[in-house]
Amino acid sequence: MLKLLSIHTSYGHIKALKDIDIEIAKGEIVCLIGSNGAGKTTTLLTISGILKPDSGDMIFEGESLKNMAPHNVVNKGICQVPEGRRIFPRLTVSENLEMGAYSIGKRQKTKGKQYNMEKVFNLFPVLKERTKQMGGTLSGGEQQMLAIGRALMANPKLLLLDEPSLGLAPIMVSKIFKTIKEINEEGVTILLVEQNAKAALRLSHRGYVLENGVIKLSGRGEDLLHNENVKKAYLGD
Amino acid sequence: MHAGTLCIHDNILTFLLKFPAMLLQQLINGLTLGGVYALIALGYTMVYGILELINFAHGEIYMLGAYLGIIFLGLFTVIGLTSVSLPLALFFTVLLTIVVCSAYGFAMEKVAYKPLRNAPRLSPLISAIGISIFLQNYVMLTQGATDQVFPQRFGDSGLQFLNVSMTYLQALIIIVSGLLMLSLHLFIQKTRMGKAMRAVAQDKTMAALAGINVNGIISVTFIIGAGLAAMAGIMVASYYGLVNYYIGYIAGIKAFTAAVLGGIGNIPGAMVGGIILGLVESAGAAYISSEYKDAYAFIILIVILLIKPAGILGKNTEEKV
Repeated sequence: MLKLLSIHTSYGHIKALKDIDIEIAKGEIVCLIGSNGAGKTTTLLTISGILKPDSGDMIFEGESLKNMAPHNVVNKGICQVPEGRRIFPRLTVSENLEMGAYSIGKRQKTKGKQYNMEKVFNLFPVLKERTKQMGGTLSGGEQQMLAIGRALMANPKLLLLDEPSLGLAPIMVSKIFKTIKEINEEGVTILLVEQNAKAALRLSHRGYVLENGVIKLSGRGEDLLHNENVKKAYLGD
Repeated sequence: MHAGTLCIHDNILTFLLKFPAMLLQQLINGLTLGGVYALIALGYTMVYGILELINFAHGEIYMLGAYLGIIFLGLFTVIGLTSVSLPLALFFTVLLTIVVCSAYGFAMEKVAYKPLRNAPRLSPLISAIGISIFLQNYVMLTQGATDQVFPQRFGDSGLQFLNVSMTYLQALIIIVSGLLMLSLHLFIQKTRMGKAMRAVAQDKTMAALAGINVNGIISVTFIIGAGLAAMAGIMVASYYGLVNYYIGYIAGIKAFTAAVLGGIGNIPGAMVGGIILGLVESAGAAYISSEYKDAYAFIILIVILLIKPAGILGKNTEEKV
């Protein structure tokens, strides 16, 4: 579905990604783990078109994303829930969701589940009680739900999730991971970036380990969970 | 002594009789002026809201609007449309002026600001001043340095009530300004594109990730701001009857004051700020001295910056996420 072919991305003179190859098949949950500054967020921002790669290519359903503006990447069906959630603080909850659906109507509706506001509310009932509330007044967990809901409003084929568990209470973390699984089971392919490596690898079909902008390891989620190097560096065993 | 007391009584009596009338008169004059300031101020505040940039060339769009109004209406007078139907001629004048000014606003952003989007903040400011000087001189060279006369006089006919008068033109300016502000408010609050404008103002990266064409929204902001300034330009040209190539400078600075007064970046704030500025200016001209007409705006600016720098409806910067 999505192929990253030797992607290099840099911030000014600092090379953040070196020769990244990632492949995601339709229906998968793929996770990208690694420590702070390894290049996980950079990878997602490059896919979304916020950062432009220096070289390499990205092919999504046969089409290159390399020179595509971010809003056109969304139009192709790739949505991102960015790090820190980035809820529009002075838009209401329902306006935040509407903005997620901004691209709908400009592109072919995908088959399968049509996510609309009602369905987002089914997934996250708490949001329904807060439709008129400003996004900035929600709690961290609610904001994470809203951020995921907002991305789902665009009917994504591929959902990019950047640290969805960051800063959330443990009970909320397990709820978010459960929801990610549900969304995937409804046919949405997922690329998950996480520091919580154990939970992410358990959930994922496959994983990549990123270190200093280079992919060190890749494999099935389960295999990585039992890999000695991964255990030592990321799982704290 | 007896005669003297009578005289004072007389004065007080006439003052009391005149007082509400004069106040009402200044209210009407002030609203006319304030509506125009508010329309220009909206352009400043919308652009600031989205780009955190003071578009100091915005006043020139207003000046261009005044000139284009004169040119188009003059053209319609020559081809005889004004004698067939004045309202129709005015309608097309307004329409064409707004379209051309919006094109100027659009081009201004693409030429002067977009290439500097990630530059230090001083660069677009200097670029704005450059565009402003360029447009002034461009108009001076093509239209001459002398005053141009608006081709249509609307006269002083209007509504008269006791000693208070409101010309039809004043009424029209107040109504048109009010309607434009109301439509803008509804556009920003209710439409998909208006909500996208607010989203872009709050977080450009996230807006892009949500599928919003951020550059498109920025262009729309400049187009709307320029359209409102164009309308203000035509109305002022018809109100005063005379325009000059430098009218954009002082009007621009006053409208900027209005935007700061209301809280820069805040749309209802620009409306409120513009109207307050208009009211203060006419009251000051009537009750204190018209010599200092232009000074009142800046006195207000200084007072506001001392007492409430965020402006009347402005949010404190901590809310910027």
